[in-house]
Amino acid sequence: MKKLAAVSLMIAMLAVALLVNARPLVADTPAPPIIGSTIADFTLPDASGTAHTLASLHGKNGTVLIFIATQCPVSNGYNERMEKLAQDFKARGINVVGINANSTESAADVKDHAAKNNLTFPILKDNGNKVADMLGATRTPEAYFLDASSKLLYHGRIDNSRDITQVNSSELRDALEATLAGKPVPKATANAFGCSIKRGAE
Amino acid sequence: MTHSAKPIHVRFVPGTVVVIVSILLLTFSAAAQSKTAHKSRSARAVKPDPVRAVNAEEMQALLKRDGKHPLLVNYWATWCDPCRDEFPDLVKIDRDYRAKGLDFIAISLDDLVDIKTAVPKFLLAMNAKMPVYLLNVADPEPAINMVDKDWSGAMPATFLYDNKGKVVYKHFGRVNPGELRAAIEKLVDSKQ
Repeated sequence: MKKLAAVSLMIAMLAVALLVNARPLVADTPAPPIIGSTIADFTLPDASGTAHTLASLHGKNGTVLIFIATQCPVSNGYNERMEKLAQDFKARGINVVGINANSTESAADVKDHAAKNNLTFPILKDNGNKVADMLGATRTPEAYFLDASSKLLYHGRIDNSRDITQVNSSELRDALEATLAGKPVPKATANAFGCSIKRGAE
Repeated sequence: MTHSAKPIHVRFVPGTVVVIVSILLLTFSAAAQSKTAHKSRSARAVKPDPVRAVNAEEMQALLKRDGKHPLLVNYWATWCDPCRDEFPDLVKIDRDYRAKGLDFIAISLDDLVDIKTAVPKFLLAMNAKMPVYLLNVADPEPAINMVDKDWSGAMPATFLYDNKGKVVYKHFGRVNPGELRAAIEKLVDSKQ
């Protein structure tokens, strides 16, 4: 009996050791799609529980998807800029859609946060990080600009600084303007510091 | 993500030895802890070194290795909740491995206006002793890309370099201290 227990213990430890060794050095967030690739349609609920497809949210000239958070100071630093972007481009055929993929923030939090910060664009709740994984999103805020056929034209930051007084390059806006003018996007990716998306099980 | 730290340290040791070693370790660490607690109480009056602002080039120079010591780098900010949450674990790691040859620097992405206020206040509360720098750049992208091509700028981010400057471990988001310690152990062991 004792021997059996010892053997089982050793097997269990070996299994743990193997598991530990098999884990990759980096938490495996899928890589983002390459610029120019087509994003598959998806369905997510908004904060009230109504389901929306990406196709149904598209503007006639495209869509900006922005991963946002209720508690991240960087994301919150962009609330006014995101709302202004949505207002500025709605009439020009580009819709802004927020996505909250933080497992730590509920649909009720999202609704409350949008009301308090006057965010009028739709905000979807990505429970289980389905869309965050599909798009390789890792931080808030993180933006994706798709044309009307869901081709990815820009992926990255909104602009260079969460402090609006320090902004001197607005890559997302530049991408939208260029596309509306029928020109290629000048800079298709750009990074900035932001909060990690808190992934979790559904 | 639910692996505890323990199995990593003890994974290849047969059961009975594990129990004995664990008891011994616990005894020693308890003794060591009470000693450190005593020390830090008297050291609390001593302020840590001031936080120095660096640009991207200066930061790159900080990451250079001369073949002697491995380097742990943590990118954090006082406004970042998971950064604050993991900081006590990092302070412990610094305390445990600095004497064994691990260099550790923390790079703050706070605003420059916080360099004499929020940043040192947090470090003092954490009893942090590692050198801390604040990256002061108008455009963060070149610095992010210089550090790692897979890094989007999501915080916190932690990188472990061997003594030749090669990245041997990286983690985006809150670190798993057991996993990080296991990676450090490999470097400080291989030196001996």
